[in-house]
Amino acid sequence: MPWVAGTYPVKLAQEILIWGIFAMSLDLLVGYAGMISFGHSAFFGLGGYVAALCLKHWSPSLASAVLLPAVAAGVAGLVIGYLSIRVSGVYFIMLTLAFSQMLYAAAFSTEWLGSSDGLPGVPRPSLPGVDLNLTPAFHLYVMVFFALAGVALDRIVRSPFGRVLRGIDDNAHRMAAVGYAVNRFKLVAFVVAAVIAGLAGSLYAQFNGYVSPEMLFWTTSGEALLMVIIGGTRTLAGPVLGAAAFIGLQSLVSSYTERWMLILGAVFIGFVLWAPAGLLGLVQEGAEPRA
Amino acid sequence: MLLFLLSVGLTLIFGMLDVINLAHGSFYTLGAYAGLAIAAVTGDFWIALALAPVVVAAVGALIERGCLRALYARGPNAQVLLTFGFIYLFDDLVKWIWGAHVRSMPPPAMLAGSVALGALRFPSYRLFVIVFGLAVAGLLWLLLERTRLGAILRAGVYDREMTAGLGVNVHRVFTGVFAVGAALAAVAGVIAVPIQAAYPGMGVEILVRTLIVVVIGGLGSLKGSLAGSLILGQAETFGKAWFPDTSMFIIYGVMVLVLLARPTGLFGRELR
Amino acid sequence: MERLTRRRFLGGAGAAAATAALGPPARRASAQAKPLKIGLVLPYSNVYAVLGESITEGMRLVFERESWTVAGRKVELLREDDEVSPQVGLRKTKKLIESDAVDFLVGPVSSGVLAAIRDTVHQARQILIVANAGNDEISRERCSKYIFRASFSNWQPNWPMGAWVAAHVGKEAHLIAPKYSAGFDMMKAFKETFVPAGGRVVGEDYTPFPVNEDFAPFLTKINQAAPRVVYAFFSGSQAVRFVRQYDEFGLRARSKLCGAGFLTETDVLPAEGKSALGIITGHFYSTLLDNPTNRQFVREFRETFKKTPDGFAVQGYDTAQTIVHALKATGGDTQNKDRLIEAVRRVEFDSPRGRFRFDPKTQNVIQPFIYIREVREVGGELANVVIDQVANVKDPGTGCTLPG
Repeated sequence: MPWVAGTYPVKLAQEILIWGIFAMSLDLLVGYAGMISFGHSAFFGLGGYVAALCLKHWSPSLASAVLLPAVAAGVAGLVIGYLSIRVSGVYFIMLTLAFSQMLYAAAFSTEWLGSSDGLPGVPRPSLPGVDLNLTPAFHLYVMVFFALAGVALDRIVRSPFGRVLRGIDDNAHRMAAVGYAVNRFKLVAFVVAAVIAGLAGSLYAQFNGYVSPEMLFWTTSGEALLMVIIGGTRTLAGPVLGAAAFIGLQSLVSSYTERWMLILGAVFIGFVLWAPAGLLGLVQEGAEPRA
Repeated sequence: MLLFLLSVGLTLIFGMLDVINLAHGSFYTLGAYAGLAIAAVTGDFWIALALAPVVVAAVGALIERGCLRALYARGPNAQVLLTFGFIYLFDDLVKWIWGAHVRSMPPPAMLAGSVALGALRFPSYRLFVIVFGLAVAGLLWLLLERTRLGAILRAGVYDREMTAGLGVNVHRVFTGVFAVGAALAAVAGVIAVPIQAAYPGMGVEILVRTLIVVVIGGLGSLKGSLAGSLILGQAETFGKAWFPDTSMFIIYGVMVLVLLARPTGLFGRELR
Repeated sequence: MERLTRRRFLGGAGAAAATAALGPPARRASAQAKPLKIGLVLPYSNVYAVLGESITEGMRLVFERESWTVAGRKVELLREDDEVSPQVGLRKTKKLIESDAVDFLVGPVSSGVLAAIRDTVHQARQILIVANAGNDEISRERCSKYIFRASFSNWQPNWPMGAWVAAHVGKEAHLIAPKYSAGFDMMKAFKETFVPAGGRVVGEDYTPFPVNEDFAPFLTKINQAAPRVVYAFFSGSQAVRFVRQYDEFGLRARSKLCGAGFLTETDVLPAEGKSALGIITGHFYSTLLDNPTNRQFVREFRETFKKTPDGFAVQGYDTAQTIVHALKATGGDTQNKDRLIEAVRRVEFDSPRGRFRFDPKTQNVIQPFIYIREVREVGGELANVVIDQVANVKDPGTGCTLPG
């Protein structure tokens, strides 16, 4: 039997890492640039579908697995971002949502994309000397990309570019007045977030061996948003913590009660009302007196 | 017309409170189920239509006072997120109380059949819904344009601080507007039951389309809601029947086009 | 605590005593004493929650009869909510396989979830008994040695309907179904026999899915065309909407509405009300079936759960019966996979729908009958009255390479 009873927690951890990457990329928009997007699932799903198609029909290489999906998501991010950042607030939310829903509709009704049932049988890439079908190897593989995405995002938010983004979130008019091309900064942030979301989506396709239109649906964006808020915005550890909390709760709580959605909603409302800094904020608060 | 009733409530709330209420769909669901429950007890559709909105308005008022009020200082993002949380809460609550079964009730007896319109037959109940929707639109227009309360509301939409400065109790007006918005959603919910049946996920399904209507029409604009629901209704009907392959795109496509041409919707005001 | 016990229906007291009474040798005793774990990946929230609940109740009825002990092993049901999401379903499936090491996996309702978990189940060599999802491909090109289906393939209830409708209702039909794989599967199966029987498809519409509140544009079109027959597949809330709006538009008097059984199943019939009167559907079951197994099933189900069972409950019932019979055949052994699979393949028993057995070629159930049913008022309640039947309907299994 190739399946050991003990691998489930490891797989849960992989899933958390992948969603963590996705949530971090969303936080670059929500937390740093102040753009709430309900269409981030577009890039997650796009990355997934591109990875699935390339791995299945082209070659089981790293280029198929992560590079092309990320690039594709980035290009889509450029187009969608260019059109969307011209509006703000609710209009931005709705426009991003519209684009992701259109992609969803396209995947849902296209035969060679598997229609409503999605594409099964996505292989994992073959690397020299490593069998990614083994759980530990794949775990390492996911960890590497998680670290890469984390470091890249960390660099970005600490850079002058990141400071400008925060400035835009705090007061866009002032930033524009002192001569920053606000929209260009927003667009770059949007594309970076799209690339990383595409990477997360491609990893998710390899993890599940399967992609479905669900990945593109707006509720997928909504879930990532829940993770970001529960974990804590404007940090990178926060969204990851949020992903862990969300998936952990979903997997554990729902085994014991059907009221999981109710609990989730209540927890989320609680965080918005009383702990706007999220889990991470709570942890830091708790640690403060000793520090 | 259902979309109009929903979107007008949503746009009213936004106009006054600057809050995009994502839980609006949940008020619709609550309204439908409250209506079913009241109709089950009284056996009368009209009593349900009158009472269910009152119940939901009370829930709306509670949410505004209990939760939203605390967030006005923190900007619109926090409010959007809060109402997003309520979607999960209410949907599951409805399922808990009433179960996940699809429920329905027949239209009131006097509206049961269909009437001849030229060669085709059109359901009487649907005619009633259209007339009713127009009546609500007319009433709202009168209220907003011809009464003192309406003047306060319009002033509030235009400039909240200034209105408060004029000695109007803005807080009470906020609660009132939120409650009325919720009630309108509930009215739509009750009316929807004979046509579309009720089940816990109905609110989420209609929410996205309501948002699209509001955004097409322009946030905070009554006229916009009416125009938006007409445009969307037509686009959908046309698309479904003649371009079924693209019908899933059409409503989004329309919205994207409108927003690209007019970033604040057809009748929207500039955002601050 | 109450939640925990509701979730994990542990066998009744005395299960341990029963094992002891068998008096097996020491080593065997320790193996046998291990509870029989059955993992359920079913929707307990979202649109299909009612179906998940119904299937679970059908299973509970069987295990209740067996006092929660089968072949000396205590039965443990582990329920996992798939939320009708392929991603969540896949995660829960992995949990049940790897973390809980279940002996049988049962599920799912949604064809999307089944399509997602199929490879994982196959690679893990995990026995799965499908209790609802009808994707034809699982009995065809994506069939697996480890996957059985006790419910139906989408093809099954529709295939006999084509010829029947052409012979008894009319030869001009307008087809309408939601635009996703099940909708396509079902309409295709209908056409397979409708057209050769002289039927003509005058129109075909696929409606937006999963969200479609209003059928008015389609109904207006049908109204203008006025075909003799409208053949439809919808389920759940969409079935209620379609049937109500069909009536509302006055189409009932002009075009006879026929369809797949889900259109008027017991879960939606009360909400459809009198609008459903006269609809003719094909299904593998009707609550009114007059056979001893069904009479007992309906009576016990009503006593236990205070409601009328539907086809979904029968699917759960048959799934549980399959497990019970297979386990008794192996004497409670689930370690030897090949022996267990062979035992499941040979299962045969009286189900409320008729004599139940699997088709060895596809491991999909052979429907003893597809009942042609008409909605009528029986004793003040709406019910699906059987007016005709077609025997031994088995999926063609094209492309499936199991050793038949």
